[in-house]
Amino acid sequence: MPQNSQEILLMLPHVVIGVGIVISLLIEMYSKKSETILPWISLFVFVFAGVHSIINISANQILFGGMLEVGGKPAIFNFIFNIGAALLILNSIDYIKKYESNHGEYYILIQSAILGMMVMAGSKDIFMIFIGLELMSIAFYVLAGINKKKSSSNEAALKYFLLGAFATGFIVYGIALIYGVSSTTSVDSIIQNFSTFTQNILFIVGLLLFIIGFSFKIAAFPFHMWVPDVYQGSATTVTGLMSTTGKTAAFSVLLIILSASLINYNIDIFAPYFAVIATLSMLYGSIVAIAQKNLKRMLAYSSISHAGYMAIGLAAANSEAFSGIIFYLAAYTFMNIGAFGIISIIEKQNDANTDLTAYAGLASKSPILAAFMSLFMFALAGIPPLAGFFGKYYVFISAIEADLTWLAVVGVFSSVISVYFYLRLVVYMYFKESEKDIDLHIDKYSLLSVVVSGILVIYFGISPDSLLNLILSVVN
Amino acid sequence: MNIYDIIFYLFAIVTLVSAAFVVSTKNIVHAAFFLIFTFFGVAGLYILLGADFIGVVQILVYVGGILILLLFGVMLTNKITNVEIRSGTTQIVPALIGVGLFAGILVLTMVSTEWKSAPGEIPFTTAYSLGKVLLTDFVLIFELLGILLLIALIGAASIARREKE
Amino acid sequence: MEQSIQPLENYIPIFLVLGFAAVFALAVIFSSKLFGPSRPNKVKLSPYESGKDPIGSIKERVSIKYYLVAMLFIIFDIEVIFVYPWGVQFKQLFGEFGIIAFLPMLWFLIVLELGFLYIYKKGGLKWD
Repeated sequence: MPQNSQEILLMLPHVVIGVGIVISLLIEMYSKKSETILPWISLFVFVFAGVHSIINISANQILFGGMLEVGGKPAIFNFIFNIGAALLILNSIDYIKKYESNHGEYYILIQSAILGMMVMAGSKDIFMIFIGLELMSIAFYVLAGINKKKSSSNEAALKYFLLGAFATGFIVYGIALIYGVSSTTSVDSIIQNFSTFTQNILFIVGLLLFIIGFSFKIAAFPFHMWVPDVYQGSATTVTGLMSTTGKTAAFSVLLIILSASLINYNIDIFAPYFAVIATLSMLYGSIVAIAQKNLKRMLAYSSISHAGYMAIGLAAANSEAFSGIIFYLAAYTFMNIGAFGIISIIEKQNDANTDLTAYAGLASKSPILAAFMSLFMFALAGIPPLAGFFGKYYVFISAIEADLTWLAVVGVFSSVISVYFYLRLVVYMYFKESEKDIDLHIDKYSLLSVVVSGILVIYFGISPDSLLNLILSVVN
Repeated sequence: MNIYDIIFYLFAIVTLVSAAFVVSTKNIVHAAFFLIFTFFGVAGLYILLGADFIGVVQILVYVGGILILLLFGVMLTNKITNVEIRSGTTQIVPALIGVGLFAGILVLTMVSTEWKSAPGEIPFTTAYSLGKVLLTDFVLIFELLGILLLIALIGAASIARREKE
Repeated sequence: MEQSIQPLENYIPIFLVLGFAAVFALAVIFSSKLFGPSRPNKVKLSPYESGKDPIGSIKERVSIKYYLVAMLFIIFDIEVIFVYPWGVQFKQLFGEFGIIAFLPMLWFLIVLELGFLYIYKKGGLKWD
């Protein structure tokens, strides 16, 4: 129980979202106008939680007797989750009208997914990681199938559920073995005795199972089978949320393992595992994305390759990698949310408009959307001076410092491949004649969301130090 | 070998043999029935380990709830009772390799680990300590669990509910 | 190992009941097979429908509402699991913690009953 008002104040983001879920549910039950009220409640909750976290970033405390960490590193993650979710809510206001039902549930589920992510990022106990993961995953399973009338959406939900539950099984089994060795569920005490535990093969196997489960959640290569279908079948805004904040939440847990090896004089037993995962994900994602004609599917493969770039940092396992991954996650979140925001605008009238051909000649129809889409594509490709470039830069630098230069070289090579399919979209928008007549309806909230993402991507690109210094101030 | 070992192996055999039948039988109703024995065996193992409450929960939720539901689902759904579900016939080689590797690693681990037994006496009933822990150390998890169950409820309802015409 | 483990004597009645149930069930089934005459014909093998000829298949489609009710049952089943260890020891816990023993459970139940209310409001419990 929180001891004083200061502690309650510090966990306000969690409390506000928890209360937000309950209030949204009540409104959904008793108000006929819930569809118009709920987006604004969710928006308020997310903006409040995001801003509150970033203001109180220096107030680092552990609450509930070693359960939940607030301030510090979790605050950065909370900022990413909440601002990302707020941007997606802005997108959803108009987009979700496409689906005839379950509007209220949509917002309630997004709030609980974000609550789960915040719990994961701040967890100091293995049980907290698990319950946060379940809150996030169950909400996502339902969100993936929120459009009941479309069979591809149902397929996405079922595939995601079956494979996600399987991955959760791995994680739980891993947790059981870890507990069997350490006799504690406290993350801190496991980290402190990490070097003793790693002499026990049982602990290593448990940790390996744990990491495999989370490799699934970050969509890394051998565990990526679900990604293309789920990303393509789900509603675009939901895909945006899963691919960015969901990935960030899973990485926030993997970073715990990284910090364990940092504290214990770089005992890095999993570096080979992460190096293999990173190489395969980067190359597979970039190469297969070239063959994709559907934009959502292409971004799904791009998401796999981005998981690979971030996994380079996990393999490098030094303090540069730690801050580099967090920077990369922030950059990736905003550029991907921007890209999915634009897709949701184009796709609004017709589901078939996710094909590349639908974007032909977009520059003449809507110069502003085309310009922002190009911006996000350049950022995803890692072209300076945008946020995506510095994300990759910091991660590659950390690999070189850890004597994993070959990994950085593979990363650069894969980035070069990926430039092809990102720029192909830009070429389509600017240099191809439009074949289809697309009924564009750009609502002001979606546009606002896209513009804000764009500004953040440019800002983090022009002055990466502002974000990096913030990250460095909490990491050390 | 004492009486505990005998009981342990009894439950282990019940669990493993029925689990093997679940995956190998081609009749889905039989599979569901064998699953009852699997869950029951697991419950027995829990009780043998001193986790009596978990054992009872296993029987109450899995055997009494989920499995009965599964059986109803199988029996009441049109045209799937007599269909032979294909199981164990596709991809058997990769599955064997994967499971064999996994089991091999686990067995190796099991053999090479020095197991320590927890000190102290196992309490007569674990319900009190569970209730206490839920109210003290794990109170936050307990509250989050409430929200988790609420989300599961909303999700189930919103997916399964029929649309209003 | 022998000392620290829970005394198994407590479970002897349960084993007895289980064993008796298994033996009895098997005995009833197999004795009728063993001793009873078996002369099947078509009428005897047809489903019992109070003397009428059965119409149609027994494999009827069941409305999705049935599954909804079933799922709700499971979720509330799990909820009760968490209330149980608290409930059986409430006197002791209340003596130890005072009102703290009450508030977390109150919030837990409020959240879950909201879920119940939601189902009710959305018509999840209506059969037609």
